[in-house]
Amino acid sequence: MTEKLAILWPEIFLFIGTCLVMLTGQWPSRAIRQFTPWICATALLLAFFAAMTSPPTQGMFPAIVPYAKMIIATVGIMILMLLSGTVDRQLETDVDNGKPFQSIRSNRGEFYAFFMFSLTGLMLTASADDLIWLFLALELTSLPTYIMVAVSREEDSALEASVKYFFLGALGAAIFLYGFALIYGATGSTNLNEIATVFANDGISSIGMIGMLIAVIGVSFKIAAVPMHFYTPDVYQGAASPVSAMLAFVPKTAGFLALMFLLGTVGWKGGHLPIELEATLWIMAALTMTVGNILALLQSSVKRILAYSSIAHSGYMLVGIIAGPGAKGGAFYQNGLAAVLFYLFTYGVMTVGTFAVLASLEHRNGREADHIDDIRGICKSHPVLGWTFVITVLSTLGFPPLLGFIGKLGLFSSGISAGHYALIVVLGINSAIAACYYLRLVAVAYIDDSEKSGDPVYATPFFMRPLAGLVSAGGVILFMIMSGPIVDGALNAATYNAPEQIDHDHDDHHAHDESHDDEVALLDD
Amino acid sequence: MMTSSLINSFTSSIATLAPDAAGHAAHAEPGAIAAGPNWVLLIPFLPFAAFTLNALYAAFGVKSKLPAWTTVATLAGSFLATLAMFMNFDGTPYTVQAFEWFNLHYGDKSFVANFSFYIDTLTIYWMLFVTGLATLIALYASEYMSHDVGQGYNRFFAAFALFVVSMACLVMGDNLLMLYLGWEGVGLCSYLLIGYFYKKPSAVAAAKKAFIVNRIGDLGLALGVYLTFVHFGTVQYAELFSNETLQSYIAAASHGDFGSIPGEAQWIALLLMIGAFGKSAQFPLYVWLPDAMEGPTPVSALIHAATMVTAGIYLIARMYPVFIVSENALPIVAWIGTITAFLAATIGMAQFDIKRIMAYSTVSQLGYMFAGLGFLTPTGGAYHVLTHAFFKALLFLCCGAVMHGFAGQLDLRKLSGLWKVPGWRIVSIGMLIGCINLAGVPFTAGYFSKDTILAEAFVTPGYAFLGWVLLLTAGMTAYYTFRVFFRVFVGPVEYHPGDELHDHDHDHGHGEEHHHDAGQHGDHHANHFHPHAPGWAINTVLIILTGCSILATGLYFVGGDKDAHTKHYADTMVSESSASYHSHYGTHAFEYYEKDPEHYPEPGHGPRGSIDKALSMPITGGDPHKMMYYISGVIGFVGILLAALLHGPKGLGGLFLGARTNASECKMDAIAKRFGPIPRWAENKWYVDELYHAIFVKPLRIISHVFHWVDKLLVDGIVNVFGFLPRVFAWIIRPSQSGVLQGYAVSMAGGLAIILFVVLVIVARAGGAS
Repeated sequence: MTEKLAILWPEIFLFIGTCLVMLTGQWPSRAIRQFTPWICATALLLAFFAAMTSPPTQGMFPAIVPYAKMIIATVGIMILMLLSGTVDRQLETDVDNGKPFQSIRSNRGEFYAFFMFSLTGLMLTASADDLIWLFLALELTSLPTYIMVAVSREEDSALEASVKYFFLGALGAAIFLYGFALIYGATGSTNLNEIATVFANDGISSIGMIGMLIAVIGVSFKIAAVPMHFYTPDVYQGAASPVSAMLAFVPKTAGFLALMFLLGTVGWKGGHLPIELEATLWIMAALTMTVGNILALLQSSVKRILAYSSIAHSGYMLVGIIAGPGAKGGAFYQNGLAAVLFYLFTYGVMTVGTFAVLASLEHRNGREADHIDDIRGICKSHPVLGWTFVITVLSTLGFPPLLGFIGKLGLFSSGISAGHYALIVVLGINSAIAACYYLRLVAVAYIDDSEKSGDPVYATPFFMRPLAGLVSAGGVILFMIMSGPIVDGALNAATYNAPEQIDHDHDDHHAHDESHDDEVALLDD
Repeated sequence: MMTSSLINSFTSSIATLAPDAAGHAAHAEPGAIAAGPNWVLLIPFLPFAAFTLNALYAAFGVKSKLPAWTTVATLAGSFLATLAMFMNFDGTPYTVQAFEWFNLHYGDKSFVANFSFYIDTLTIYWMLFVTGLATLIALYASEYMSHDVGQGYNRFFAAFALFVVSMACLVMGDNLLMLYLGWEGVGLCSYLLIGYFYKKPSAVAAAKKAFIVNRIGDLGLALGVYLTFVHFGTVQYAELFSNETLQSYIAAASHGDFGSIPGEAQWIALLLMIGAFGKSAQFPLYVWLPDAMEGPTPVSALIHAATMVTAGIYLIARMYPVFIVSENALPIVAWIGTITAFLAATIGMAQFDIKRIMAYSTVSQLGYMFAGLGFLTPTGGAYHVLTHAFFKALLFLCCGAVMHGFAGQLDLRKLSGLWKVPGWRIVSIGMLIGCINLAGVPFTAGYFSKDTILAEAFVTPGYAFLGWVLLLTAGMTAYYTFRVFFRVFVGPVEYHPGDELHDHDHDHGHGEEHHHDAGQHGDHHANHFHPHAPGWAINTVLIILTGCSILATGLYFVGGDKDAHTKHYADTMVSESSASYHSHYGTHAFEYYEKDPEHYPEPGHGPRGSIDKALSMPITGGDPHKMMYYISGVIGFVGILLAALLHGPKGLGGLFLGARTNASECKMDAIAKRFGPIPRWAENKWYVDELYHAIFVKPLRIISHVFHWVDKLLVDGIVNVFGFLPRVFAWIIRPSQSGVLQGYAVSMAGGLAIILFVVLVIVARAGGAS
């Protein structure tokens, strides 16, 4: 238990923070109310440092915890900056005008608490070593986001998005829970390491395989992969931009961690998953990126474009999952899991910046910027936001030498070294298609200086939002320069210990020869 | 500093991705040499600081002379550091590493090119005049550019400082990649500064021309660097020059055995040579340099006369060991250099724009330097680089002062007698000193350095014809140089302002009370024009440079090293570097001769008889240089007297030979008529630009039109179909995003079912069967 505790300190700090913000968010004193985000930030910082010192764990992914929680805390802080001013704007204006503070009208406490709950769930996902734990952690990640979508905007579309997201999320959860149940039925254990041992020794039974397939497809709801992607554009568009940014990073990270843990139980033997899983993921990856990219071509809503881009990126990252960890002690360019872990961070940093630009612009009536006309020529009208947008979008496109390029390079090279050439061709074609709409965004923001038609956009009064964008754009540049440590961290985190296979022939013939068994184990090492 | 560490970290992070890249500690390699003191890094980084600051000034819209003072101060610091480097140099080359750049190891091979500086005598020799002249010219520019104080001023000095940084990388880099970096850097700065007046179409066209013509040369350089790496496995000088393969080639070349040297190795020099021809404006790539005079005059003086254009000579001198193993490279260099020198001189004789005359003169003098390299006297080439840097910078700055003071007037038919105009004495004296140097009047620095090259032409067998051509060119040089002096600086006072009227003519007053707008300038200036005499900054620089040009003569008599058999400063500095001809080459020849005189090859073998060259001193028994003193001195005087006769004014100003009484008419006009169309052809630069236009530009344009239509109709058509397909798909699958909750749920469940079906029934069956 204590060893479990040792890796759970980040979650504990976040939970303490969560309890505090539920109180301070409702506090009658305005200063304390406004202190709420700072408590979140403090908790995230503490979690970051606690994660840094996390000891290695037993099992398949011994070193994943520190890296995963550190990137969660880092991107979490960036999202937190972006969330400023999302809720209670009207209420605080009323308080300014002399009306008394009504805690019943305030959403601040819940909003930040749910944000923290979600991140706690995400970190718990990274710590998971059990199917039950994994399920609970995944749901703890997702459930708060349903409500955050609803309260993020005082518009019907937000409620509609929230309801859609909730029902479809529940369906997705039901699917992967069903898969988990089948896996439990096939192996008699919910512990991932034990499941892995059973799979390794007894082979994968049909029930177990069907369970794995259903679980993998169900979890793909979190990463918005085909065929679970339908909700994405509607929800992203319905939610306020800061919450959309969060949706692009938090559930996706949870989903990919869960996928890694699930697939770890069957393992990448000789660089390949079992044929059924590989085929499933192959189809999903190819379809996800293709559907995401080509549907993005037709959109005129920037948030929908980014939603489809989010879908496409899940497809890219699935390539890394299929490629697997490669040979032990291999380099970054051979390790698909390291590429995915690196790309998750990369994607988080870039996406926050892009959404930050949208969140920093609004129409006179308070409607936030969304249509592609709203960002027309912002490099001239709002240079800081404009350049943030250009840098982050180019990085998302994978424009060399920006951060996104380094991430995509890892995915490409790991796929090539695993021998999935056809998939790499699909990935290449998709990157080319993606360039169409990313470059359109850049061109509209940078080049276009035609007269704006319709409603002009103005900067929001929240200083933290453009700052989040700046941090993100700065991060794209900074981490591009200093990608070395993060690459090394991702490579280390992706260390995968295949479950030990106990040789049954030896067991049968030398059932009592324990010393010989030890020798075999040594040889296996 | 930031950019550099940025590149470093980026490349190292890429290196992390590369197989087996990191982790190989630098082990002692052959050719590894001692590390030098770190303060040497100040030489490139001080100007870099100036560049950064100037860029910041531009960002904050500084409107003062601050950028000039920043640049002058840092460049002076850079010069002092170079001087300290010179003083502290103990004869052993060393390297100083700023940071690791490329350090890739794969298999048993490696590609190492660090951001390091290689310091030997050649480096110091070059950097001394580069930083020294850059400091002086920056000071000059502080006044010259003063009409543009503001954004233009910031931009100018930012590019100016960046130029010095790039030049430092080029000259000091310890590998060919650094040289390439600097090479492209100076090219960029040259482009930026030629196009400084970017609202002037001719300046923009000139900038583009310079950039594009240089592309051709740079392609050669890039291929040469690549081939060097492929063949010798390194691009670092220290390793390259101690490379055993190269040493064996040199040994083979020293007894004329070029057959045993692989063609690949011989091609390296030919490719590098193309790069050198582009950057140093040699035939047929010289056409950009005269047009480059569209840039502000300080730029012409520093970049397009004294420093950047000598990069080609530096490249060949630095890579001399590679050039002497190529059978044809140095002979081609000698021929092209001579052709360029002669051709440019003929054009220079017929021009009327004094800055253009100086530009052609630069091309011509660069030709001399290349010829020197080709005549196996890198010393002569490098010595002429140094003296030429001083006197040509001086000449340009004097022309610039004229241009600055007479509202852009550069036509020698519209200026006369500046010597007598108040405030112009310093400029006139500077011009005179520059002219006698360029004309090769005895006992000037230009005379000694040119003689070294000319004498070697007759010493080195096979080049006597080129020697005569160069002697003729020397006479022509003296003629066109003093043509400018006799017409512009002596004689009756007469001047007409040019059409570039700077606002500051009024800001400074000059007693003119009336303020009128730009449209009226022309009308009034004809009557009320007052030349704007140079101020203290320009005069100071001119005085210093005049002094330097005079003192440069002294360099011929000091700095020799008896032990090393070197005669003077330049000889010492060049002979102790990789450009040394004797140590690398001559020794082998002597050894070979002493060992086996019987099989000593016939004259004419070797690089066109180079063995005889190595032995020429004992064979001829006398010093051919002494003969040349008299011959070239006489030819120089003939050229000057001819100029005096044809262009000089009456009286002392025309050496009592001339008869000119006004600015626009002289004896030459009548003579020119008798030559028929030839002077007009020369004035039109022998129509080389038009020829290039017809041979290269026109056909390319036609081809580009053809491809345009092929591209538009065929390629675009195909691409558009492919570009259209995703949209078609998008239209097809778009209805799936109906927005209806139930629809989504059914789709999710259906998708799950389909995938399970496909995987379990089809893929697993097929997989199981196979």
